[in-house]
Amino acid sequence: MKHTPNRRLTLRLTSLFAWPVLALNLAAPAAAHHGWAWAEGDKSELTGEIVMVKLGNPHGELTIDVGGTKWLVEVGQPWRNERAGLSDDMLAKGVKLTVSGHRAADPKKRLFKAERVMIGDRKFDLYPDRN
Amino acid sequence: MILEAAAAAIHASDLSQTLRASIWLYPMVNTGHVIGIALLFGAIVPLDLRLLGWRSEVMLTQLARTLIPVAIAGLLLAVATGVLLFATRPLDYIGEPLFAIKLGLLGLAVTNALLLRRSPHWTLASVAADKPTRGSWRFAAVASVLLWLGVITAGRLIGYR
Repeated sequence: MKHTPNRRLTLRLTSLFAWPVLALNLAAPAAAHHGWAWAEGDKSELTGEIVMVKLGNPHGELTIDVGGTKWLVEVGQPWRNERAGLSDDMLAKGVKLTVSGHRAADPKKRLFKAERVMIGDRKFDLYPDRN
Repeated sequence: MILEAAAAAIHASDLSQTLRASIWLYPMVNTGHVIGIALLFGAIVPLDLRLLGWRSEVMLTQLARTLIPVAIAGLLLAVATGVLLFATRPLDYIGEPLFAIKLGLLGLAVTNALLLRRSPHWTLASVAADKPTRGSWRFAAVASVLLWLGVITAGRLIGYR
């Protein structure tokens, strides 16, 4: 019985650690960048012109103008773009492209998770197993 | 603003460009950051638990001798890799409130640890016989766990912004 207070302390400390972990898990799906949890299930496409480029680690982002509306498109980090055959100079300002993937589930957010990039008649699969 | 000018200068540096374009370097730096945090938090929690009275039969001086150097090494690794992660996208981080919160909590956590180690009772305990624990140590231990959890949580959430 002499361990009982310690056990109670252990329990209390365990719950102390559990809360932030739970909070983190609840907060994470709402945000972008990681996985698809923030995006809608249906696949869609956007076609537009690149107006802003932010490539490189940790996340690659393009801003494209789709008929006057600006969309933030998540592309790959360097290794993913390279594997897909996309080089940085192909994703320059002024380039017209089509991206296929998923829009953010929140319709107010003009955010898009690209799985495939199409420039002219060339296709670049960022996620080959999802296309 | 001077902060933005400094961030822009870092962004334009060769190091920053190398980190942004790298295939392997950036993930390795990232991994080093996680290892640093694991060492730090993994060493500091047993020490805090001991300060709370858990396993009070274990000599605090012995535990501290073992765990504090590991925690310091972990902190140094996390800070060094953290500087590189910051240098990759300095303009993003200076505009991110979570990053400021993280640095603030980090400052408090380190101050808390330094104050504890410099307290006369701690110094006495390390020369004289082992002491079970004290009220102020309990407070410092709870503060330590909560502050480090805060630093880690804020840091992780930055990655989801």
